[in-house]
Amino acid sequence: MSLAELRLAWRMLLRDWRAGELRILMLALIIAVTATTAIGFFSDRLQRAMVEQSAELLGGDLLLQSPREILPEWQARAAELNLAEAQVLEFPSVVLHGEALQLAGVKAVDARYPLRGQLRVALSPYGEEIRETRIPSVEEAWVEVRLLTLLGMEIGDWLELGETRLQVTRVLTFEPSAGGGFFAMAPRVMVNQQVLAAANVLQPGSRISHNYLFAGEDRALQAFQDWLRPQLEPSHRLLDIREGQPTVGAALERAEQYLGLASLVAVLLAGVAIAMGARRYADRHFDTTAVMRCLGAGQRRIMALYLPQLLWLGLIGSGIGVALAWLAQFVLFWLLGDLLPTNIPAAGWLPLWIGMASGLTVLAGFALPPVLRLRQVPALRVLRRELSPMPLRGWLVYGAALLALALLMWRYTGSALLTATVMGGAALALLILGSLAAGLLQLSRLMHRGVGVAWRYGLNNLWRRPLLSISQILAFGLTFMAMALIVLVRGDLIDSWQTQLPPETPNHFVVNILPEQRDAFAALLDQRAIAHSELYPLVRGRLAEVAGEPLGNRIQPGDEGAGAVYREMNLTWTDTLPAHNRITAGQWWPTGGPTDDVMVVSMEDRLAERLGVRLGDVLTFSFGAEQRQVRVTSLRSVQWDSFQPNFFMIFPEQALAGQPSTYMTSFYLPLERKGELTTMLRQFPSITIVDLDRLMEQVRSILGQVTLAVEFVLLFVLLAGFAVLYAALQASLDERLHEGALLRTLGASRRQLRSAHLAEFGLLGGLAGLMAAIGAELIAWLLYTRVFDLAYHWQWPMWLWLPGLGALLIGLVGYLATAQVLRHSPLAVLRRL
Amino acid sequence: MPTHPEKVSAIVSAQGLGKQVETAAGQLVILEDIHLDIAAGESVAIVGASGSGKSTLLGLLAGLDQASSGRIRLAGEWLDALDEDGRARLRGEQVGFVFQSFQLLPSLSALENVMLPLELAGHRDASTPAAALLERVGLGARLDHYPKQLSGGEQQRVAIARAFVMQPKVLFADEPTGNLDAATGQRIIELLFSLNAEQGTTLILVTHDDQLAGRCQRAVRLDAGRIVP
Repeated sequence: MSLAELRLAWRMLLRDWRAGELRILMLALIIAVTATTAIGFFSDRLQRAMVEQSAELLGGDLLLQSPREILPEWQARAAELNLAEAQVLEFPSVVLHGEALQLAGVKAVDARYPLRGQLRVALSPYGEEIRETRIPSVEEAWVEVRLLTLLGMEIGDWLELGETRLQVTRVLTFEPSAGGGFFAMAPRVMVNQQVLAAANVLQPGSRISHNYLFAGEDRALQAFQDWLRPQLEPSHRLLDIREGQPTVGAALERAEQYLGLASLVAVLLAGVAIAMGARRYADRHFDTTAVMRCLGAGQRRIMALYLPQLLWLGLIGSGIGVALAWLAQFVLFWLLGDLLPTNIPAAGWLPLWIGMASGLTVLAGFALPPVLRLRQVPALRVLRRELSPMPLRGWLVYGAALLALALLMWRYTGSALLTATVMGGAALALLILGSLAAGLLQLSRLMHRGVGVAWRYGLNNLWRRPLLSISQILAFGLTFMAMALIVLVRGDLIDSWQTQLPPETPNHFVVNILPEQRDAFAALLDQRAIAHSELYPLVRGRLAEVAGEPLGNRIQPGDEGAGAVYREMNLTWTDTLPAHNRITAGQWWPTGGPTDDVMVVSMEDRLAERLGVRLGDVLTFSFGAEQRQVRVTSLRSVQWDSFQPNFFMIFPEQALAGQPSTYMTSFYLPLERKGELTTMLRQFPSITIVDLDRLMEQVRSILGQVTLAVEFVLLFVLLAGFAVLYAALQASLDERLHEGALLRTLGASRRQLRSAHLAEFGLLGGLAGLMAAIGAELIAWLLYTRVFDLAYHWQWPMWLWLPGLGALLIGLVGYLATAQVLRHSPLAVLRRL
Repeated sequence: MPTHPEKVSAIVSAQGLGKQVETAAGQLVILEDIHLDIAAGESVAIVGASGSGKSTLLGLLAGLDQASSGRIRLAGEWLDALDEDGRARLRGEQVGFVFQSFQLLPSLSALENVMLPLELAGHRDASTPAAALLERVGLGARLDHYPKQLSGGEQQRVAIARAFVMQPKVLFADEPTGNLDAATGQRIIELLFSLNAEQGTTLILVTHDDQLAGRCQRAVRLDAGRIVP
């Protein structure tokens, strides 16, 4: 390709642009790139925001919990990687106020705490929450509100911790790195690490949790984790933001999958529009190419002139698309300013490059085949206009498009399974729908007799070119299918999140209910009409052996999840399978306990998988000095984000008989009734109430953002769908104008032409809607059952509204688009073409 | 490349030319046993009734189509020895075309249409000679107009300018006045012949207009695919 050819190609591109030949192609490309890139930018920023929020919950990007100080070289390695580090010591200690004493969870922080997020405090119990930028001074203690209640204190009172006296100046409302899960039962006291020496509360052998927070660049964090993990012992827990918050992690993962899927659909739709635009472009260049061949341009020359045009078109269109996408995400974040966290991190550069690459890939996949066809235009066409190049081979067109799509899909979803499911579904649907469209078209011929001349002409338009009609039915059908899928999946995904967090989701956990208080406490809740879950007994015990092997052998170093069972676990007994639990293997025992062997256990299935426990294996638990052996008779899946008491191990009552126990439950108390907590604590001073509202608020706000993102994405998918409609109508407009002009010359009235167009487009849209219903049902079923893991139900209303909507929409748009046929004088149209 | 001294002066030469196509009804003979020599600078009309094979012969002679039998030599090169790209090169260098339906590119202005062959041949300054030639055909004031803004006669003048801008050795014209009214057609003919005389081009035109054929030095009459006296 010479420089002169490139220059000539550039001039030809400019001339085509000026003449309006490139508008559809360019428009479709811009929409494709804008849609995918805006989604890319948006989800990139949202993800950063969500990650930051999750980091806020954790207090850093990475949390390492250790029972003792970690090796200095670990800290050195973190410093080497430029990771910021903060240390938090947590230990139980008794605090005093006058005569009153209470076991508290002390959290001693250093000046760097927290690395991510901010402490939130109130100046009075249940007072207004404010953000705190410092940590307690060496003379202060900040406490949870329930400690004030338990010790009968007020803000400003003095508290004794070991040998020091500290003034209580703040109520803790939100602390990053709350740690310890929901079972950090003792009320929290936060102090400055520097007071510990003076307080002299830490003795050799004290139970201390050393928490190390790290924050820094993603790559450095990853490098640090990779380096550290192999060296961890079972007693270490390394949490990153995903693992730290399972609820957030699951929501994030689904949201990412959904956004990926939606951007893919947008690409698919825009791809169809591009293919149509490119076809029209190529068709309109047959004559040009034939003349150029007459004027001495060989095949190579023709390609040397067209291919650079396509490349430049791709670069310019993608550039504009990326720029628009950048603006679009700005506008969106600006519009949603009130709903989203105040500081949304800026988007990275990556979506920009991906957007450019997507534009070129889509163009190559969908526009290259029709343009390559120009190479085959015979020079003789200048004399015999009916000579067209050989039609494209099907495998070339679909192969190129499928390849481009698969590449993009893989990039967006990052999931080979999702890619394969959607591609497989689409290919299967295409095949089935293609033959179905042909069948339906054939069937619709039955209408032929019953309609008037105008309708017959319109319907004839469809039947006359069955291949074109089938491809249009498929194109519109796919568009509708994609939109229907997005609406369907969006609705069900959001529903499934919301049903996970119904309005009266428990917002308080109560533990340390003594057995003799059990009935009285349940009665209190019922009397005050407070919705609560069952009261579960809690027995502390440790899993010692699995199938005769020490537990240590079964735990992979660095498997923090399994490491959690190394410590004492909360065990419970019940005869009723808790709600949100599902038996995945084996059998639950009947009410009254197992009839034969009572020494059995039901185990959470993922833990069983991690420890390699199978049905029938015998587990040994130690309760202090005593050991008991139980057989695993069932495995359960547990919905951990249900905010109900959940357990790894559930026993029949007989298996835990004789072990000391306390009870726990969870309940819902609306904000305006928070004061009742104090009454409750006065009546049952020994119980511990854990307030979950703060955490729930975080989870809700994250889900809210995800929902918003999903709706935003839907907008772009719709836009891409309309691009397809527009491109398709434009592609056949020349021919329609010509035929319309001819018919009017022959005496057809405007009304007749209008009816003809309505009939044609209405039937086209109706058939496309029917296809869409079939395809959407098929793919939705695959997605639900194979990817999202949601229950599937038959979507019958779709079978009614899709064909109706299709007929209406395509009928209307076709009618409007062909209005030109009626507007222009026949002579003008005939002369123009 | 074989050369025949007695035919060196012939710029277009057809020997035993035939063209058949397969149709549903069997083989259809369009041209049969055509022998034709056209000397450089000569003007030749190919005449005959509709369907006599005139346009097919023109397409073959110009290298736009391939013969079923026989050989053609155009500007010293045997067409059957060239592939399609070779024939395209030959057309670009030696041949100009004027068509009944003008075949102007709708997305290009008059000037750009005339510039195109020069640009394809890699000329650095295509617009000067193109503008000059448009001036010569009387369209100097309409360089930036698009084909749809021009009348039929004006469009054909642009096409003629495009055909002559490369100073071709041979000009093929297919019913150049077929889409024009008599008066306009007459002016186009005058223009065609005067440019032809100025540049010494060989002119081969297909027409069913006897008056136009009469302007040529020689007429070749086709009937049912054969040359008749």
